[in-house]
Amino acid sequence: MFKNIKTLKTLLKYLGKARYLVALSLLFALLTVALTLYIPVLTGQAVDLAIGVNDVDMAGIGVILIKIAACACLLALFQWLLSVVNNRLSFDTARDIRIAAFRKIGRLKVKTIDMQPVGDTLSRVITDVDHLSDGVLMGLTQVFTGVITIVATLVFMMLMNVWIALLVVIVTPLSFVVSGFVAKRTYSMFRAQSKQRGEVTRIVDETIGGMKTVQAFSREKDMVDSFNEANENLKKCSLRAIFFSSITNPSTRFVNSIVYALVAVGGSMMSVFGVGALSIGDLTCFLSYASQYTKPFNEISSVVAEFQNALACAARVFEFIDGEELDKEAPTKANLEKAKGKIEFQNLSFAYNAKKPLIENLNLTALPGQKIAIVGPTGCGKTTLINLLMRFYEPDQGRILIDDVPATDYTRNDLRSLFGMVLQDTWLKSGTVMENLKYANPDATDEMAIEAAKQARAHGFITRLPKGYDTVLTEDGGGLSQGQKQLLCIARVMLKDPKMLILDEATSSIDTRTEMRIQDAFARLCAGRTSFIVAHRLSTIRSADKIVAMKDGKIMEIGTHEELIRKNGFYHDLYMSQYR
Amino acid sequence: MLVKLIRYMRSYVKESILGPLFKLLEATFELFVPLVIASMIDKGIRLSDTGHIFKMGGVLLFLGVVGLAFSITAQYFAARAAVGTAAKIRKTLFERVTRLSAEQLNKTGVSALTQRLTGDVDQVQNGINLTLRLLLRSPFVVFGAMVMAFFVDAKSAWVFAVAIPILGLLVFGVMAWSLPLFKRAQQAMDLAMGITRENLTGARVIRAFGREKEENERFTRQAETLSERKRKAGHISALTGPLTCVVVNLALAALIYTGALRVEGGAITQGELVALVNYMSQILVELIKFANLIVSITKALACFGRVQSVIELDENAPGNEKNRVMNAENDVVVKFDRVTFTYPGAGAPSITDVTFEAKKGETIGIVGPTGSGKSTIVQLITRFYDATYGKIFMYGQDVTALSSKDLRNRTGIVEQKTLLFSGTIEDNIRWGKTNADENEIVNALSSAQGLDIISSKSEGLNAPVGQGGRALSGGQKQRVAIARALVRKPEILILDDSASALDFATDARLRAAIRNMQGESTVFIISQRASSVRHADKILVMEEGVVKAMGTHETLMETSDLYREIYFSQFPEGEAYV
Repeated sequence: MFKNIKTLKTLLKYLGKARYLVALSLLFALLTVALTLYIPVLTGQAVDLAIGVNDVDMAGIGVILIKIAACACLLALFQWLLSVVNNRLSFDTARDIRIAAFRKIGRLKVKTIDMQPVGDTLSRVITDVDHLSDGVLMGLTQVFTGVITIVATLVFMMLMNVWIALLVVIVTPLSFVVSGFVAKRTYSMFRAQSKQRGEVTRIVDETIGGMKTVQAFSREKDMVDSFNEANENLKKCSLRAIFFSSITNPSTRFVNSIVYALVAVGGSMMSVFGVGALSIGDLTCFLSYASQYTKPFNEISSVVAEFQNALACAARVFEFIDGEELDKEAPTKANLEKAKGKIEFQNLSFAYNAKKPLIENLNLTALPGQKIAIVGPTGCGKTTLINLLMRFYEPDQGRILIDDVPATDYTRNDLRSLFGMVLQDTWLKSGTVMENLKYANPDATDEMAIEAAKQARAHGFITRLPKGYDTVLTEDGGGLSQGQKQLLCIARVMLKDPKMLILDEATSSIDTRTEMRIQDAFARLCAGRTSFIVAHRLSTIRSADKIVAMKDGKIMEIGTHEELIRKNGFYHDLYMSQYR
Repeated sequence: MLVKLIRYMRSYVKESILGPLFKLLEATFELFVPLVIASMIDKGIRLSDTGHIFKMGGVLLFLGVVGLAFSITAQYFAARAAVGTAAKIRKTLFERVTRLSAEQLNKTGVSALTQRLTGDVDQVQNGINLTLRLLLRSPFVVFGAMVMAFFVDAKSAWVFAVAIPILGLLVFGVMAWSLPLFKRAQQAMDLAMGITRENLTGARVIRAFGREKEENERFTRQAETLSERKRKAGHISALTGPLTCVVVNLALAALIYTGALRVEGGAITQGELVALVNYMSQILVELIKFANLIVSITKALACFGRVQSVIELDENAPGNEKNRVMNAENDVVVKFDRVTFTYPGAGAPSITDVTFEAKKGETIGIVGPTGSGKSTIVQLITRFYDATYGKIFMYGQDVTALSSKDLRNRTGIVEQKTLLFSGTIEDNIRWGKTNADENEIVNALSSAQGLDIISSKSEGLNAPVGQGGRALSGGQKQRVAIARALVRKPEILILDDSASALDFATDARLRAAIRNMQGESTVFIISQRASSVRHADKILVMEEGVVKAMGTHETLMETSDLYREIYFSQFPEGEAYV
C-alpha cells in the first residue's frame, strides 16, 4: 500500500505540470454535473404538473420542456469539452512520462543496459505507459467527476428533502467498503500479471530478434513451446486479475439497488404520510438521483479495477525512471580545445565478475599521435580496455589519465567527444544512409559526407542501393551486409574528425583487399591522432608505433613489429600462426 | 474481421454464450424496476397502501440480489472467454511469426511484431471482455425499454421508436469516423517503440558520439506526434457521449409533452408517466456505457486487424511449404545452375549467373570483397530466399520441391553476426542437436576451440549466456555458435565469415579440427582471409555478384589476378610463409 502511495505521488508530480488543464477539467466537470443534476429536477417539476385527467398544466410544462432542451445542449457542449481536456491531460502526461523514461536510457550505466533484457525495458517505456495513461489518468479524471457528482447530488438532495438524503448517505459507505475490499485483493494479482507479461515480452523479443538463427536450426517448435508455457501462465494470472477485479462492478450495483429500493419505499411512505411535503415529481427526481448517485460509485469502483492494473504498470515505469543511474558530474577541468591526445593507464584493474579478475595492474602510455595496436588471443581483455577508456565501465582500481588529467575529471560526454570509435558491433540507426553518415557530425554538408564515404570506400555500394544516399535503412541496418555496415561506420568516424581514435576490430568484416584500399584513408585518419587499434588481422597493425601483446588481461610484450618478431616470443608465435 | 475474431473464440463457445446470456437475464430484471415504481405510485401512494409499498420495496431488493448473482456469473464467463481467446490469438500469432520468411520479417520490423504480440493482443482481450459483458446488454436494455414503453402506453412510445434509430446512427457514425484515426495513432506508437529499441541496442555508439541529446529530441518529437494523434482520435470518439445526451434529452422532452397530453386525456396515470420517463433515463445510462464500449471495441478491432494482417501474411514464402524430404544418394550435394538473385526491393541483383557444384566431402571456399555476394549464396543454400532466375539443386533435386525444414536439419550454419539465446552454454549448443549427450557437446566445443570458455566459468557448461549472449565476449559467442553447428555433424556445414572474431591461431586450429572431423560434411567457408580458404578443394572468387574465377589455391594463384591481389593484400610478397 505504501508503494501505491509513492507511485501516486510521483504520478501527481507529472500531473502538476498541467495544472491549468486540471483546473479546466474541474470546471467543466462541475458544469457538466450541475446540468446533469438539474435536468431531473425539471423533469420532476413537469411530472408534478401532470397529475391526472383534466389536471395538466400544458403551458407550464411547455416552459419546462424548453428549459430541458436548452440544458441538454449546454450539457453536451461541456461534456465534450471535458473529454477534450481530459484527453489532453492524459496523453500529455503519458508523453511526458515516456520522454522521461526514454531520457533515462541515456543516463543508465552501460552495465545496466547490458544486463537488462531489451524487451523488458521496451515494455516499460511503451506498453506500461500506455496502460498507465488509459488506466490511471482516465481513471483519475473519472474519479474526479465522480466525486463532484456525489457531492453535488448530496447538496441537491439535501435541498429537496433532508430525510431521504440522510437515508442515502447512511447506506453509501457500503460502496466504499466493497470496492476497497476488492481493490486490495486484486493489486497483487495485477502485479503478477504485469510481471508475467514482461516474461512473455522477453521471449517474443528474443525470438523475433534472432529469427533467422531460430529458423536455421529449426528451433521454431522449442521457442513456441517456451512461449506457450509463459503464455499459459499469463492466461492464468490475467484470468484471476480480471475476474476478481470485475466483481467490483456488480457489487456496487447491488448497493445501488439497495439505495434505490430504500429511496422508493422511504419516499413513498413520506408521500403517503405527508412528511416533508414530498410530491410524486420530487420522488421521480429522487429516484433518478438515487440511480445517478450510485453511478459514480460504480464508475469509481470499475475504475479502481483498471486503476490497480495501471498502478502496477506505473510502478514499473517509475521504478525504471528512478533506477540507478550514472552519478552527476562536475564540469570538465581540462581544456578540450588544447587536447593533445596523451593517454596513460596507471595500475589498472578491472573485473566484470568479482570472482574472476580480468585486467590486473595494467600500465601503458600512449604519447600524442602514436598508433597503439593491441593484439592477443580472443578474450584477453582487449575490448575491455576500450570499454574502460571510453568510460562505458569504470576501473575497479587504478586510473586513466588523458593529457595528464584523470579521466574522471572530464564529463563522460566531453571525454568521449575526444574519441572517434569504430566497433565490431556495427550499429546503425534507422534512417537514410546520409543521416547515418552525419550521425557523429550533424553539421557536416552532404559533400563532406560523400567525400568521407568515398575515402572509406563505401561510395560504390551506396550508389548501387535503390535510392543511393537517400536509401532508408531499417532497424539495425536491415538489408546491408556486415561488411557494408562496417564501411558506413568507418565513414561515420571519418566525418567526425576526432582527437583520438579507437578501432575495435573495425575491419573484421571487410575483406583485406578493400581494407588495403581504405588503409591509406585510415593512415590519413590516424595521422597526428593517438589511435588505439584492436585487431586480429595482424597485417593491419604492422605499422603501429607500439604493439601491445596481451594475454589473460596482462601485457606480455610491448614494442614495434620488428622488435617483437626479433624477440621470437609470444607475439612472434601469434603472428606466425596466421600463416599455418 | 469480426468473423475471424469469432473463429478464435470457438473453444470458448460456452463462455461466450453464457456470459452475455446471464447479462441479459440481469438486464431483464432491471427492466421491471420502472414498472414496480409505477405500481408503487399508483397503488401505494395514491391509495395510501403502505403494505403494497413495502411489498414492492421487497421486490426491488429481490431484483437486486438476483441481478448480482447473474452479473457475477456473467463476469466470470466473460473473463474466461476473453483471456482464453487472447491467449489463443497470442499463441497463433507467435507460431505464425516463427514461420515468417526473411523478407516478411524485414518488411514488418521487429518492434512492430513485438507490439502486435503484446500491447495489441491485450487490447483485443479487453475488447472481448467488455463486448461479452455489454455489447448485447446495452442494445437489449435499449430495445427492452422501448418494448416496455409500448407495453405501458403505445401512443406515447413513438418517441422511443424515433429516438433509437437516430441514436444508433450517431454511435456508428462516430465509430466509422474515429477508426482510421486510432490506426494512425498506433503507427506512431510503433515508431516510438523502434526508437526506444534502437537506443537500447546502440547505447555504446550513441554515447561514443555524444548524441544522447539528439536522440532525446528525436524521441520527444515522436512522443509528441503520438500524443497528438491519440488526442485527435480521442476527441472524435468522445463525441458519442454528448451527442447521445442531446438526443435522449430532447426525446425526454417530447415524451413528457406527449405523456402529459395522454394524462390529461385520461389514457395513462401519473405513475405510468413516471415509468415512461424512467425508461428513457435507462436508455441514456445504457447508451453512455455503450458509447464507451464502442471506443474499446473500435480500438480492439483495430488491434485485431493488425494482428490478423501478420497472421495472414503469405504462407507460401520459402521455408514453409510441406514438400518432400530429399533423397541424399546423389554425389553432388549442392549445385547452382546460372543462379541470379535480387533482394526484394533492391535496385540491382546481388549475384548474377552463378554456377558451381559441391561434391560430398568437399570444402568450398568463397572469397571476395565486401558486398560481392558471398553471403547471398548462403542465404540461397539455406533457402531463406529463393533464386530469382536459375536453379539450385541438392543431391540432384530442385530445392524448391524439397522441404526446407529437412534441408535446414541437414545444414549447420554459423552466421556472420552470432546470436545466442537465453539459457546456458549447453542449452545453446544443444540447439544443433536436441538429444546430444554431454560427450558430444564437449567434443563439439573442443572442435570449435571453445573448451577454455567452460573452464573459465565456475558453472562450466551450465554457465548462462544472457539474452543474445551478452555474458560472453565476441570471440566466445562465435565459438559457442560454431559448436552449435558442429554438434549436429551436418551434411552441409556453412561458416559464413564466422572466424572474424577469432585470432589467427584459433582460426587455424578450428579449420584443422573441422578437417579431422568424422563423417563426410560438405563444408562452405566464406571468408575474407585467404588463409581460411587456401586449403579448400575449390575456391570461388567473387566480385560484384559474379564468380570471377574458380579453382584451387595453386591454380588461382596462376590464373586469377583478383585472387592474387586478395592474397597479397594479406600476405605481402616475399613474406609468404608456407
